[in-house]
Amino acid sequence: MENFLLRNIENPNSADINEYLKVGGYKNLTKSLGMKPKDIIEEVKKSGLRGRGGAGFPAAMKWNFATADPKFPKYLLCNADEGEPGTFKDRPILEKNPHLLIEGMVISGYALGSEYGYIYLRGEYPQAKDILNEAIKQAYEKKYLGDDILGKGVKFHLSVYQGAGAYICGEETALIESIEGKKGQPRSKPPFPVNVGAWSMPTIVNNVETLSNVPYIMEIGGDAYSNIGSKDCPGPKLFSVSGYVEKPGVYELPMGISLRDIIYKHAGGIKDSKKLKAVIPGGISTPVLPADGIDCAMDFVSMPKAGSMLGSGAVIVLDESVCMVRVAYRALKFFEHESCGKCVPCREGTDWLRKILERIENGKGSEGDIYLLSDVAGLISGRTFCPLGDGAAGVVTGMIKHFRNEFEEHIKNKKCVVS
Amino acid sequence: MFGETVLKEIDEIRVKYPDRRSALLPSLYIAQREFGWLSQEAMQCVAKALNLSESIVRGTASFYSMFKHKPVGRHLIQLCTNVSCMILGAERLVDFLGNKYGLQPDGTTEDGRLSLVVMECIGACGTAPAMLINTDFYDNLSEKRIEEILEKYK
Amino acid sequence: MISLTINEKEVTLDKPVTVLEAAKQAGIKIPTLCHHDLLKPWSGCRLCVVEVERMPRLQTACTLMAADGMVIKTESEAISNVRRGILEFLLINHPLDCPYCDKAGECELQDLVNKYGPTVGRYKEEKRKVPESHKDQIIARNTERCVMCTRCVRMCNDVQGASAISIIGRGNHSRMEPFSSESFDCEYCGNCLTVCPVGAILSRLYIHSFRPWQVDKEVGTICSYCGVGCSLVVQVRDDSIKRVIPKLGFGLNKGLLCSRGRFGYEYVNSPDRLKTPLVRKNGKLEESTWSEALSIIADKLTEIKGTSGGSAIAGIASPRCSNEDNYVLQKFMRVTCGSNNIDSLSRTGFAAAQKYFEDLLGQGITANIIDGIKNSEVVLVIGGDPTAVNPILGLSIREAARRGASIIVLGHAKGLEKFKTVQVVPPLFKEAEVLEALLVELFRAKGVRAELPFIDKEMRELSEKAAEKMDLPGFDELMKALLNSASTSIVLGMDLIQRTNGHRSLFGVAGITYLLEARLYLLSERPNEQGLIDAGCVPDMLPGGRPMNIPDFKSKFEAAWNGPIPDDDGLTLFEIIEGIKNRNIKALYVMGENPVFNLPGGPFLKDIFGNLDLLVVQDIFLTETAEIADVVLPALGWAEKSGTYTNLERRIQLQKQAVKTSRGMEDWRILSEISGRMGQKMGYLETDDIMREMAKVSPLYADLTYDEIGKGDCLWPYHGKPLRGEMNEVPPVVDAEKDYKADFYLAPEKLLFHSGTLSRKSPALMKICPEPTLKMSAASAGKLGLKEGDRVQFSTTAGSSEAPVSIDESIKDNRVFLSNNFQGSGVMDLLSFSIDEVTKAFGIEGCEVEIKKHGIKA
Ligand SMILES: Cc1cc2nc3c(=O)[nH]c(=O)nc-3n(C[C@H](O)[C@H](O)[C@H](O)COP(=O)(O)O)c2cc1C
Ligand code: SF4
Ligand code: SF4
Ligand code: SF4
Ligand code: FES
Ligand code: FES
Repeated sequence: MENFLLRNIENPNSADINEYLKVGGYKNLTKSLGMKPKDIIEEVKKSGLRGRGGAGFPAAMKWNFATADPKFPKYLLCNADEGEPGTFKDRPILEKNPHLLIEGMVISGYALGSEYGYIYLRGEYPQAKDILNEAIKQAYEKKYLGDDILGKGVKFHLSVYQGAGAYICGEETALIESIEGKKGQPRSKPPFPVNVGAWSMPTIVNNVETLSNVPYIMEIGGDAYSNIGSKDCPGPKLFSVSGYVEKPGVYELPMGISLRDIIYKHAGGIKDSKKLKAVIPGGISTPVLPADGIDCAMDFVSMPKAGSMLGSGAVIVLDESVCMVRVAYRALKFFEHESCGKCVPCREGTDWLRKILERIENGKGSEGDIYLLSDVAGLISGRTFCPLGDGAAGVVTGMIKHFRNEFEEHIKNKKCVVS
Repeated sequence: MFGETVLKEIDEIRVKYPDRRSALLPSLYIAQREFGWLSQEAMQCVAKALNLSESIVRGTASFYSMFKHKPVGRHLIQLCTNVSCMILGAERLVDFLGNKYGLQPDGTTEDGRLSLVVMECIGACGTAPAMLINTDFYDNLSEKRIEEILEKYK
Repeated sequence: MISLTINEKEVTLDKPVTVLEAAKQAGIKIPTLCHHDLLKPWSGCRLCVVEVERMPRLQTACTLMAADGMVIKTESEAISNVRRGILEFLLINHPLDCPYCDKAGECELQDLVNKYGPTVGRYKEEKRKVPESHKDQIIARNTERCVMCTRCVRMCNDVQGASAISIIGRGNHSRMEPFSSESFDCEYCGNCLTVCPVGAILSRLYIHSFRPWQVDKEVGTICSYCGVGCSLVVQVRDDSIKRVIPKLGFGLNKGLLCSRGRFGYEYVNSPDRLKTPLVRKNGKLEESTWSEALSIIADKLTEIKGTSGGSAIAGIASPRCSNEDNYVLQKFMRVTCGSNNIDSLSRTGFAAAQKYFEDLLGQGITANIIDGIKNSEVVLVIGGDPTAVNPILGLSIREAARRGASIIVLGHAKGLEKFKTVQVVPPLFKEAEVLEALLVELFRAKGVRAELPFIDKEMRELSEKAAEKMDLPGFDELMKALLNSASTSIVLGMDLIQRTNGHRSLFGVAGITYLLEARLYLLSERPNEQGLIDAGCVPDMLPGGRPMNIPDFKSKFEAAWNGPIPDDDGLTLFEIIEGIKNRNIKALYVMGENPVFNLPGGPFLKDIFGNLDLLVVQDIFLTETAEIADVVLPALGWAEKSGTYTNLERRIQLQKQAVKTSRGMEDWRILSEISGRMGQKMGYLETDDIMREMAKVSPLYADLTYDEIGKGDCLWPYHGKPLRGEMNEVPPVVDAEKDYKADFYLAPEKLLFHSGTLSRKSPALMKICPEPTLKMSAASAGKLGLKEGDRVQFSTTAGSSEAPVSIDESIKDNRVFLSNNFQGSGVMDLLSFSIDEVTKAFGIEGCEVEIKKHGIKA
């Protein structure tokens, strides 16, 4: 498959608008502005595009909800918070192909009747901020942004909003709170953002990669797009591969590709030919898979059946040298640090879990601790306000399910067995 | 107090959003740039510039880990220790910074040159371990490489 | 109509509500912790989970909207498991110090754990440590007990609008703190205390002094401080007030209070209370007996009436006394003493404005429900800070702002700084001109309303005279907002009235009110300003606002009161003072008022009061006026007696007796005792007797009973018949055209934490706000080279004083402000004034002041 999302990124000047125009950039915008907004949405619907931010929600369905709401202005927010540990797939788009995102946002804005877009960019990407700002400036100069885009009387304004270090702000309602200048704590749904979002107006939140797929859909048509990759969730997908592989990096591959192929065919297999122990397939929040569980199709529909989730498509490969208790502890340290504190089970539960795991890892575990871990995870699971807490519980449950022996040995030997 | 230019900068940000409170995060970044960290005075300046309550400013700022509530050294090292970095040796690097520079997580060297914050994932897992120094980005870190890099930050 | 099943019970709802509310309506209690009826749902604690058929997960009842056909279970094993788990989580970091905690007994966490909680803890790790601070003098904070429900913060932000506290930090590492992390430095409404479910924040006024189960009785009554008239509950033990808390969901304040109402009650128990009557002997006030004191007064009044006639006697009524007290006072003056010289200090503001508006626009024009403000599209605030004068009314304005209303401030209002849409600052003392200009513009745009021909005519004349448009920043925006508004509230403070030509401003406001069909609210500093007017404590009106000059009314009252009422109109406050100066008035009877301190020109008043043959003061403290009286009588105060108050909305409310510690007597009883000694028996045994008489004689109170009032919604016009406005001539404006060119002008300001001289005797309020400050704009301070807290000396032609400077961002002109609450440093003594010919209120404009830095600091 030819790269679309990562097209031209080998070019050191790929972020420059002229380089982008050379490879056909913004022609899909010109084409789209010649169409009726609702026909664009129809095309996206045909494409079967699902959100790439983690939840896999059908993009056209969200868009239709938003356009059905009579209130204006509507806001289009691009979720560039990319906080899920192990994920670095939006980054090449933001830093190397920013005009693809801008083009995608202008087309989407036009389709949605939205005249204001904001890119919510994580604070940890300072380079991306400068690159995006420069790209936006160029796009304004060339009239791809502004009050009268390409002389078609279409208006769309775009700017970058910089986050400040809070994973939860990737959650769409927390993101909205954050862009309103508040703490990033999730809001109750309903009302959904498509009706009452940023500044109380209809708001569409989409991931960087999702929006960057829109020009492609307009280029090849929804039908053709829907034939790429899995039937239920088609299209190209960016996978971030990290950990013990020979060639870590971001890969643009068809949705539904097997996890094994990602690791062995594309990422060059396990580093130094060591033995694979486990894979976290979709970012830290997704349950771990054991070495023999990697023959699964990487898409939103198949992964839950395989006992995990696609998440952000961040594949973290762990070899035999890795201590799973330590990984679990580090993951829970993350969740505890990032819990927004709104709901009791997540706020208190992640802290408790982290403390127990820290104790076990330090050789101070005791007999009932594994049971206690599972039980506390159970007290969190399904009871939290947003999926963050669920994710934390799932990590612990998954680890114990597949690697109980490592926990037992830590407790028995009063130390880590691996390192 | 903020000077005229800073106030103007804030005003320009303010008009980009339908509500003045949206300018809070960007203004906190500005305050942090101006004061080095978010002292009470820095937050009061922001509150005044945006006509927001001081407590709202402080409460909001304290939620975000990139806003600093105590002074930091001239150079801020933000080193990732999340799983992809951890398994490739990030924790060893933390120890190294401690042993070699006397730099502890959330601490500052005695000469006020370096501060260290241990980060969650900074989106460089493919080239782990990674860190930011101020806004500069470094990856594929090793003890030796860190030593070389830090030569540039005096 | 929505119907659903909760625990197999059919529930029908007439409007959409949450499942939690629906269950409540059906008498089913779902446990909650982060939810509070005064706040929007939060959904953080997850205790309120319920099972809903065909929904996969358990749902939180506090956020889930009830929908038709839902089948809900509020208790099951799965639900109990969740609740037990949540409570276990809440306890892992909790200090478990119930035996020492003052909340024990009324702690929601304790109650929940008793019902749903785990029996053993499994947490072996270290507990969270939270930094402590004991700096705040009013609120004790023990954050380790905090369950992070955020109720306090939401209250402070979303309801009170003070935004003084927030959750600092994120997640498990967070804690509730004020900005300074130590002292709260807030509005001290204490509404956060109402909503905190645990013992994390408590009022220092009562901690360690009693346990919730040791309360002897709880008495629902009305606050004694301002014209809002908030409902509250007084908790009594050993015949002393232990705590004041709001009455949730009840009264117009619906569970909210301000600092004065919640923390100001301690004056009742003050050791400085008057205990026995005092009589001046050989130039000194000496303790006396009731019978001696009352006889002296009766004899003296009889003598003066005999020699100089009733018109040589005057009375000053009290906006802190009940309707019953005031009614009896005016009857005592009119019939027993034979004088219509009865007025009050409300003359200087509320009563003057109220009467002016009624004369022009008809009775009841200011009788509007406070709650209505929040639904306005525009709120126009003029001449005062509602959030300081009438805090709970102020909250409605803040709520209106949250709902998207334009809040327009003419002048300045600190408490609305963060809520205002536009601030229009009139040129110094030119409020009337601005209002007239506004009126003219509105009239030109809207045309004649043709309901009250007289006002229409006046407005036409005004608009013909007025040439050019007002050129003032914000003026156009203000115009536009008013023209586009379908629902306008006008909130008027007294500063505007206290001008040389105060009535001119009033006409402006009246015209705007009329043109826009706006709701008009008069700020009222004292709890019963409206009531004293309605009770007849104005010289030219009998109870019920009935003009003296209509013979029918007068003869009806004479018949009911068994005696003649003098024919003249009586003297207003400043005419009385003039009379005292000229020695035409020989006796002054002051009930619950402190004119020497509360009026401008105190030293002068003190001086001329020496002319009196008899000065009687009945009060609860030895005030500045009492100090120079001939006879001082100890009265019963708030919470010690029953009666009614009429608030600024004209709602009549019941005040109930809660304690009987003082040795004083009810004001009305004192009067009726004296009246009896003067040969005019009043025959009241209890307040009920007075109310019954008022209901009979006053057309306004027709058929009113305590039972009806006690129900809480006793609103204008009760069963009475309002009168139409009957002014048909706007008096001419005294030409006072003058430019104000001095550097600084002194003006009075009203404080949130104080109220008259009463709050001096409240230790809590004195702790919050211990001394006066001279408030000024940042520009003025800059000009003087002053910063916050610098001490300054300042003087006017009337006198001088000193105070620290405080910079107020909301002030935009070169006036400086001083309060009138603190002993020895009230602003009134420093003011020069004139009297408005129409309203007979004082005008304090252009009082030049010189300000000097006090000493030189190293
Ligand atoms: C805890 C949490 C963190 C999330 N972080 C991100 C993120 O960093 N980037 C992102 O695009 N979506 C993230 N999401 C998903 C968003 O809530 C939302 O579903 C997404 O932005 C929608 O865009 P999409 O439909 O294009 O995927 C997160 C969700 C949760 C619950
Ligand atoms: S689950 Fe965690 S992150 Fe989500 S609302 Fe609750 S406390 Fe916040
Ligand atoms: S102090 Fe009380 S009300 Fe405030 S968050 Fe803590 S427990 Fe809740
Ligand atoms: S607003 Fe007025 S009546 Fe209400 S509590 Fe405060 S002082 Fe009392
Ligand atoms: S885990 Fe360190 S950069 Fe992602
Ligand atoms: S009361 Fe519903 S979640 Fe707390």
